[in-house]
Amino acid sequence: MPSKETNVQENSKESSSEMEIDSCTLKAMISSPSEKIHLRPMTLSDIDDFMVWATDVNVTRFCTWEPYTSREAGIAFINNFVLPHPWLRAICLDDDYAIGSISVTPVDSIRGEIGYVIGSKYWGKGIATEAVRLVAAEIFKEMPEMERLEALVDVDNVGSQKVLEKVGFVREGVMRKFMCLKGNVRDMVMFSFLPSDSLL
Amino acid sequence: MDLNETQPTVVVSSPSGRISLRPMTLSDVDDYMVWATDAEVARFCSWEPCTSREEAIKYITDSVLTHPWLRAICLEDDRPIGYILIMPVDKIRKEIGYVLARKYWGNGFATEAVRLVTAEVFKEMPEVERVEALVDVENVGSQRVLEKVGFTREGVMRKFIVMKGSVRDMVMFSFLPSDPFRY
Repeated sequence: MPSKETNVQENSKESSSEMEIDSCTLKAMISSPSEKIHLRPMTLSDIDDFMVWATDVNVTRFCTWEPYTSREAGIAFINNFVLPHPWLRAICLDDDYAIGSISVTPVDSIRGEIGYVIGSKYWGKGIATEAVRLVAAEIFKEMPEMERLEALVDVDNVGSQKVLEKVGFVREGVMRKFMCLKGNVRDMVMFSFLPSDSLL
Repeated sequence: MDLNETQPTVVVSSPSGRISLRPMTLSDVDDYMVWATDAEVARFCSWEPCTSREEAIKYITDSVLTHPWLRAICLEDDRPIGYILIMPVDKIRKEIGYVLARKYWGNGFATEAVRLVTAEVFKEMPEVERVEALVDVENVGSQRVLEKVGFTREGVMRKFIVMKGSVRDMVMFSFLPSDPFRY
């Protein structure tokens, strides 16, 4: 696992010995738009970076959870939810600091649901799109029993819908009065990506 | 009707009077077998055709009589030609399901039953915001039932459910308390 203290690494990609160059990272380096990102497991040492996006009401607007107000609650979240999660990754820029997270959560034996959150300072740079693309490209190899990767997005969350469309997810339809979000019943757009689908 | 009572005795008839809904009982077993043994009826259901009266009695006892909301669909003679049920998905969503003996397909009976039950659900359960149905892409007959009632076809969910070992595409339909019924 790359360590944040190691800033002595060369800035050339070939000698990034501190960073594991897996296929996700390689694709990120090759194909990222304005910012280069990579995915790695999230740990307790990410707590301060986590608090940056988790306390931001703009970020949590379409999340099921309210903004975090204490570091202790953030630590508890990482311990109780992040660390045991079957598939959750920090989204990192070159300096390996976490600017968001992305996860795939099993719905049942054949379906997984993708979810992602990015600090608002980094919106509009194609970062979420790249993170989702990396996951869609690799997840079926890691979870071969999965037949369907899906996402449920609030009808008003146009930014997130555009992310999925840019990657190549299929917009299947609007599910009316589908989910309770912070006490309101919301219409949600259902998207899916299958192993046989093409990434855009 | 109190949802906590497992066997309310009220019988509900459709406005046309052609069908009525009531709880099922063990004495319905022979009529139950007419549709439950039929492979064509079972085709898009999660269950395999029933092969014996004993099996039928066991299934009715274990799964039908214990169901929180299941009604026999009966014609004038009060004998069941199928059943219709409501399953909770979560606090605000219910899923509707129905099965009809093949001999009675094509007469609008399922349509009447779905219309009746959907209206009843919103009356009995004011917390319900959405009644939904998931229909196999190939089950065109059942899709037409929902369309005729006025359900909204929201879209095809690809590779959504495992049915008898195959992963199926399913059409999602919904009906909200504010939606108008089609007649």
